[in-house]
This record gives sequence, C-alpha cells and structure tokens, in this order.
Amino acid sequence: MLAGATVIFLATSLALAGAFIPSVRPLLTPKRLILWGGLVVPSLGLAALVAGAFALGERLLPRQGAETLRIEVVARQFAWEFRYPGTPVATRDVLHIPVGRDIDFAVTSEDVIHSFWIPRLGGKIDAIPGHENIVRLRADAPGTYGGICAEYCGEGHAPMRFTVIAHAPEDYEAALTSEAAR
Amino acid sequence: MIDATSRRTVLLLSLAAGFGLWAVAFVVLYAMLSVGCAFGWDRGSLVLGLSLQRLQLLLLLGIFLALHVALVVGLKARQSRADAATDRFLRSAARLAAIAALAASVFTYFGAVVLTTCNP
Ligand SMILES: [Cu+2]
Repeated sequence: MLAGATVIFLATSLALAGAFIPSVRPLLTPKRLILWGGLVVPSLGLAALVAGAFALGERLLPRQGAETLRIEVVARQFAWEFRYPGTPVATRDVLHIPVGRDIDFAVTSEDVIHSFWIPRLGGKIDAIPGHENIVRLRADAPGTYGGICAEYCGEGHAPMRFTVIAHAPEDYEAALTSEAAR
Repeated sequence: MIDATSRRTVLLLSLAAGFGLWAVAFVVLYAMLSVGCAFGWDRGSLVLGLSLQRLQLLLLLGIFLALHVALVVGLKARQSRADAATDRFLRSAARLAAIAALAASVFTYFGAVVLTTCNP
C-alpha cells in the first residue's frame, strides 16, 4: 500500500514538474492528461486492487479439509466474547490466537448486527443474531493486534474494541490455561 | 409526432440508460447470488461440471451484457436522424456513457464467472 502510494505520488509530482519545464510542457496536452491521468492509470490501479481483493477474498473462505482451529465469537452490545471449543475458556474483549495457523472464526450475535474486524489480519464479517458466519484468518507474526466492531450497533459502538494477542504455538496453550485459572 | 421538448427529455434520460442498466444488473445478480446460496444451488454440478448457481449467474450476466450491447447499437442507429447540435451532443454522450457502462459491467461482474459464490 505504501509502495503503491509512493509510486503514484512520484508519478504525479513528475507530471506536475513537467508543467514547469518549457521543453516538456507542449507534450502535456489536455487530451493526453485526461487519457492517461484520468483513464489509463486509474484503470490499471483499480484492476490491480480488484485482482488482489478477489484473490484475498478466496483465501478468507473456510474451505473443507484444512487443519484449522475453530474459535467462537459472540458479539453483544457492547462487548465481544470468545470461546475456545474443547476448553472451558471464555474471554471478554481479549482474543488469544496461535501464530501461523488458519483459524475459522464462527461469528454470531446475541442482539443486533455487529461486524467482526481485525484490520491487520484481513476482511471483516457480519455478526448476525440467529446466524453463524465463518471467516478464516491467520496471523503470521506474534504480537498484539487491534480488533473493532465495524457495523454501527448502538451508542456503545465506537469503543466496542477488542485486543488480539497472537502467541507462538508453544505459548498458546499456556495462555489459555492461565485464562482458565482466572 | 413527438415534439422537440419531449424528444430532448428522452435523450436526456438516455444519458443514464447505460449505467441504469448496470445498476439493475448489480441488484439482480446480487439478489440471485444470495437466493442461490440460500437454496444450496452451488452444490453439485448440472452440466459440464457447472453448478446450477454458476449457470444461472452466467445466464443472467449474458442477458445483461447482451442488453448493454443492444443499447450501444440502438443509440448509434438513432444517431443519423439527429438534427440540432444539442441533440447530436446528447446522442453521442449517451452512447459513450453506454459504452462505458458496458465496460463497467464486464469489469465488475466477471467475478460471477470465476469466484467462489457461497461460503463452503
Ligand atoms: Cu458496533
């Protein structure tokens, strides 16, 4: 994203600088500026973004067969609850995940529609009462990521955040155990 | 006989025809995609390894692209009968918009051909 923005910024600066160079200026006809700056370049940029988004979207789908971990996400006004099947652990507004493993988040809601979103890890998915949506995400590096409700759900919507802690695989079990002891 | 004012009204409306068609295609494809997923049309294959879901989306897309082409052709056919300069301008603008809308439909809806349609 930063690299793309830098390229666009430099290209625009170059075109702008050309307007001040007498020998270059006649080349910058309105027709060329509109054709290249208004049609060709944005179309190429959009095509690249769309292709990237489609490829990423396919990766977020919970396909069968893969060795995934399942975590249940329940949204309610105005908090997130995370349950870890196979353990008695439930955490509130803090989500523990292992690094380097695909995780299927089964997302639902107890009241209104919310949306589960960890921007650094990928796409968001709606949390709908009476319905379970699944999104497959993966953290490649350990650390703390921010998560947020991405669908307006009432007056407590804006601060309806949660923290994602991505543990190294060997630390993950220990993290859940210490949560269970709480 | 249509008077000049109502003819211009039709011409003015034809400016929006191309992207109006794009918008209708958007709503219909989105709705039928969701209906297909709800009824499980994506499971199994009907013909040539294609599911009912893929077939109905391809059929709808084909219909809308054909309508787009018909619109572009239709606007060209009427172009020759243009008289006043304003009419000529409106006709060519409507036709260019219809061509842009055709390109937009190909660009935005080709996903219906290649992408996974429902949550597996
Ligand atoms: Cu919210």
